[in-house]
Amino acid sequence: MSETLADAALWITVLVLIGSAVLLVACLKRVLKAAVSIPPKIDAIAGVAAAASKDLDAVAVLLTTQDYIKSIRASVLDYGGSLDAALPDY
Amino acid sequence: MEIQVAIILLLATVIIAAAAIYLLATIMQLFKINSGLAVVLPLVGQIVQKTAPVNPIVDDINANLVVTRDALENLMLKKAGPDSAGIVESLFPGEGAKFLRRVGRTGKVVNVGTVYTRGVGILAGLGRGAPIGVAHAKGAAVRDPRYSTTEVAKLYPAPPDRRDPSRVIPKSPTIGKDPVHSPYEPTSTPGQRTRDAQGRRIDTPPEHH
Repeated sequence: MSETLADAALWITVLVLIGSAVLLVACLKRVLKAAVSIPPKIDAIAGVAAAASKDLDAVAVLLTTQDYIKSIRASVLDYGGSLDAALPDY
Repeated sequence: MEIQVAIILLLATVIIAAAAIYLLATIMQLFKINSGLAVVLPLVGQIVQKTAPVNPIVDDINANLVVTRDALENLMLKKAGPDSAGIVESLFPGEGAKFLRRVGRTGKVVNVGTVYTRGVGILAGLGRGAPIGVAHAKGAAVRDPRYSTTEVAKLYPAPPDRRDPSRVIPKSPTIGKDPVHSPYEPTSTPGQRTRDAQGRRIDTPPEHH
């Protein structure tokens, strides 16, 4: 009787091990798939970052634009002052 | 009994081997990710470094543009009064209402450009209330003669005879009403006639006592 019980317990252990093996392989396969998909994306990001960094070299031109805007502001305000003096109020 | 133990041992071996294979492959991919990130991170650092001065510069540019816009809008209000929004609308369709909101005013925005052609609107502004010609003697009409009265009524509160007397609206100046040197004002000295009633020249004007 006890031998039959031990036999049954061993068969249950075998079934549990088979299920665990299938589950473990499935999980590890998904982890590996995710890990494999990351390097191409990083390569793409590296390409875009390099291009963006190169494009941002033109940011220095903003300093010139800032000076232009300041001079335009002064000119427009001078012009507005002249119009204020030249035209009658409503 | 021995067969079951052998199967258990075999399954355990398979599980360990599968875990080892997949974990090694995953570790290899993690090395690749690490080397890729080592390339990307300095580039991102460069981007951050290069974009650092953008915000202060753009803020400064925006501040200058806002000051300029406010000055021009105040000048427009000072010179064109209630027609300001209509003028803005005629130049930049859709901006008249925004202009009114910015300057804190309300009212209907009448596109001046749809009422008057360019140039005629300027004349209307200069000679406020003056009857601009319905049409040129030659050529096309400068404004729509059918709806001109309606459009003018939309621009101005009301004609002078129906205007609310409590509202002080300046009228057009009348030239010659009160000139500095009128030919009809009385002289302070008696003066002398140089011609008689028939237009004949008088050589020696008679003296009056």
